[in-house]
Amino acid sequence: MSEETHTISVQINGRKVKVTVEARMLLSDLLRGELGLTGTHVGCAHGVCGACTVMIDGQTARSCLTFAVQMDGATIETVETLGDNASLNVLQQAFHEKHALQCGFCTPGVLMSATQLLNRNPDPTETEIRRALSGNLCRCTGYVNIIRAVKLAAERMRGLAASSSAHASASRE
Amino acid sequence: MTSTTESLIGKPIPRQEDPRLLRGRGRYVDDIPEPAHTLHLGFVLSPHAHARIVSIDASAALEMEGVVAVYTGRDFVDCIGSLTPDKEQPGFQRVGREAMPVDKVRFVGESVAVVVAVNRYIAEDAVDAIFVEYEELPVIADMDAALQPGSACVHEGTTDNILFRAAMKTEGFDEAMSAAHIQVRDTFYSPRLSALSIEPRGCLAVYDESHDALTFYTSTQIPHIVRSAICDVLDWDETRLRVIAPDVGGGFGMKAYLYPEELIAAFLSRELNAPIKWTADRREELLASVQGRGYRFDVTMGFTADGELIGTKADIFCDIGAYPGYPFGAATSAGGAALYLPGPYRMKHYCYETRAITSHTCPSGVYRGVAAPSAFFATESLMDRAAHLLGLDPAEIRRRNVLVDEDLPYMTPVNIPFTSGTFQKCLLRAIEVTGYEEFRRKLPPDRMIDGKLRGIGIGCVVEHTGQGASRYRIRGVRRVPGFDSAQVQIAPNGRARVWVSQATQGQGHLTTFAQIAAEQLGLNIDDVTVIEGDTGQGPYGTGTFASRGAVLGGGAVMRAANEVRDKITRIAADVLEANPEDLVLSDGHAYVVGVPELRVRIRDIAAMAHSMHDRGLPVGESFGLEATNFYDPPLSSITNATHVAQVAIDPVTGLVEIERYVVVHDCGRVINPLIVDGQIHGAVAQGISSVLSEAFFYDDQGQALIGSLLDYLVSTPLDIPDIEVYHEESWSPDTEGGFKGVGEGGVIGALPAVVNAITDALRPYDAKITQLPVRPEVVMSILTGERGK
Repeated sequence: MSEETHTISVQINGRKVKVTVEARMLLSDLLRGELGLTGTHVGCAHGVCGACTVMIDGQTARSCLTFAVQMDGATIETVETLGDNASLNVLQQAFHEKHALQCGFCTPGVLMSATQLLNRNPDPTETEIRRALSGNLCRCTGYVNIIRAVKLAAERMRGLAASSSAHASASRE
Repeated sequence: MTSTTESLIGKPIPRQEDPRLLRGRGRYVDDIPEPAHTLHLGFVLSPHAHARIVSIDASAALEMEGVVAVYTGRDFVDCIGSLTPDKEQPGFQRVGREAMPVDKVRFVGESVAVVVAVNRYIAEDAVDAIFVEYEELPVIADMDAALQPGSACVHEGTTDNILFRAAMKTEGFDEAMSAAHIQVRDTFYSPRLSALSIEPRGCLAVYDESHDALTFYTSTQIPHIVRSAICDVLDWDETRLRVIAPDVGGGFGMKAYLYPEELIAAFLSRELNAPIKWTADRREELLASVQGRGYRFDVTMGFTADGELIGTKADIFCDIGAYPGYPFGAATSAGGAALYLPGPYRMKHYCYETRAITSHTCPSGVYRGVAAPSAFFATESLMDRAAHLLGLDPAEIRRRNVLVDEDLPYMTPVNIPFTSGTFQKCLLRAIEVTGYEEFRRKLPPDRMIDGKLRGIGIGCVVEHTGQGASRYRIRGVRRVPGFDSAQVQIAPNGRARVWVSQATQGQGHLTTFAQIAAEQLGLNIDDVTVIEGDTGQGPYGTGTFASRGAVLGGGAVMRAANEVRDKITRIAADVLEANPEDLVLSDGHAYVVGVPELRVRIRDIAAMAHSMHDRGLPVGESFGLEATNFYDPPLSSITNATHVAQVAIDPVTGLVEIERYVVVHDCGRVINPLIVDGQIHGAVAQGISSVLSEAFFYDDQGQALIGSLLDYLVSTPLDIPDIEVYHEESWSPDTEGGFKGVGEGGVIGALPAVVNAITDALRPYDAKITQLPVRPEVVMSILTGERGK
């Protein structure tokens, strides 16, 4: 059975791409399979776990619930755009210092959701951080260090904190 | 650069594994670039819990473009042996599992056919086009049905549905218990859970015809056991199979099993001479990946009038589902439940009977904490009830019973020695840092503060970590080698590589073991690279589960690194014309103690050892700078902790909010506090989740009532509070390096702490919580029941 195909033009991580896809191809499969952007992970394929979260036209979206063919003309950003080859960005660096990732599988989706939060709200309360990340399941960290890392990143982005030493860890001697 | 002048062991070093994962450059099995012409598998799952397979019609599927083949159990039965984890031994009824059943299915989600297609989309189309005719058979949906006198057996050739049983009673038990001032007793139920790693299982089998060799990537915690077992049941040469666990996205015990899909993928790759790939979807994960728990504990505890614990009687029932999993077999949960139930208290008398029961449900096994969280849910709940009956505070009854330093070494009633620990210290410190006594003083009898019911709960627990070969033999677990190993090799440029027989799934081994190796070798941590999860590199071992990584892997790294250190020291002593005993290795150099200018670079020693230096080796010294060593600890390392949870319950919605959570924990010598805290946070969160919402349900026909994450309710960032962790460090006198394990203790303490806090908040309603989870509707039924009186 051969499926109907469509040719779409999308901008992915700053690069213009023209690609022919089956009507039923998911955006997550286009990114991961056709384009080799395997940083975006699929944890449930039904829109609950949030591992596949990407940015479509500046808004977070589940790439496992989006058909590639819907993306004609869209601008898509994935975890691979964060930071650069030489250094981690402020959010990634905070995740590193605060040990906000363990297995790392959910991390790309968490980073995309947190990026959107900090873009829109540079000074979020803890409750606002928790709400913004409530669509991202993490089974390793208990979210504790993720919340701490997003707080730290927000502080640094606001220029309030110069180093991690200003922010005491809750772990004590 | 990190200086090694102060010890690297104990430092909160951010992980070496992070940067690539944060950039989206991780390589989980499904991320590995597919070789050309990779074929994809799609499995047909049984919709019935117990049914005879009458016929399978794959003709429509086979006509679809892109479908290469369809196989059923009949095609595999002569080429793939059954997985039989247990050996003949007393107390066991030995049961195996075929890679795919030929005649009948035994749980919803068991696969009956597999499609091989050119891509996943077509494979799934074809799965839907396969027609299976079933004849439904009577279902044994739970342990109660399985234990009914005269019940049919899930497996032919067995006499009943109990696949493993064990019992013991200490001398004088009955007399001592009958003299008890009070006895508290109840039955506690812990439902089935999904381990729910966010990365589903999956594998990629790449056969190389020219060498008759297979490279097998799989999302596993036990690559070495997977290699041996695949070769065993396929009758292959073990030296031609390389199993690689690349980045693994969480395991939690669920990936410490070998699965039928892995056997089939490995078999088909050679059979079809093609790369074969399979990735589970979430539904397959929920239905067919080994689940956790499914326990019933009938427990009676006897106390003196002063609240002294006299003894405990435990009747333990573990529903292990349709098949005992490989390699852990039938005994692991049921046997462990009985051995771990005696907690951090002095207790002379103990009597248990435990059994593993088979039913027509998904296999259940060694999910994080295995039976220990449920055991402490029972015993710590009863501890609180005894306190209430005796007019003691829950903290006070624990103070009176907890092991103190003078009790050590302490032998439990099941003859497991506790040689170190801070049982009393953790309890007292937890009471102090939480301000427990003040909270208790301020708590009104109706528990209502600011419109919410408030409560506080304590969980005092121990965990048996770092088990080696002898422990698994004693417990009748015969397919788990138990030891682990490490190979340390210094390259001619002075940088070290360390291969470890473990397989990390997020525990930070690459950093932790680099800290140990760098410390022992006198190198900077950036000069050490750790490699794991590859049977083609490094020596044989067991794997990462049961809170054993730090003890087994850490011990092996310590031993191998020390051998290399000794050789460096000998060569350096020759160069410096000094006594080897007078040398220290630090910061990339060998120094004479007290004379830091008398030194030689380890890099130069490495060059000498590889004949790449003007200077030769001392007479009698061999080339190379490497060592392989194996480690098998003599005893379990006992980890202890006290957890305190503080909750607020909304009387209108029944919603439980955890307002504060404190852990005072002792896992021996801490290697990396950042990572240890992360392990505790994650484990506590899983424990909280299983108290508040998580459960996997079957109906009385064995039908799964859960099929997606919309039905399986797992905690989100809105449910888990910040978690405060405090450390005590009683170094293990029994293990290399003094390490103890930490992976599971958090779950074990969270169940009793949170349950006791909820029970305390519901004290005006005289609530007894005996079944998890405690969802809002459960709380409301307690609240409205009282109101209706």
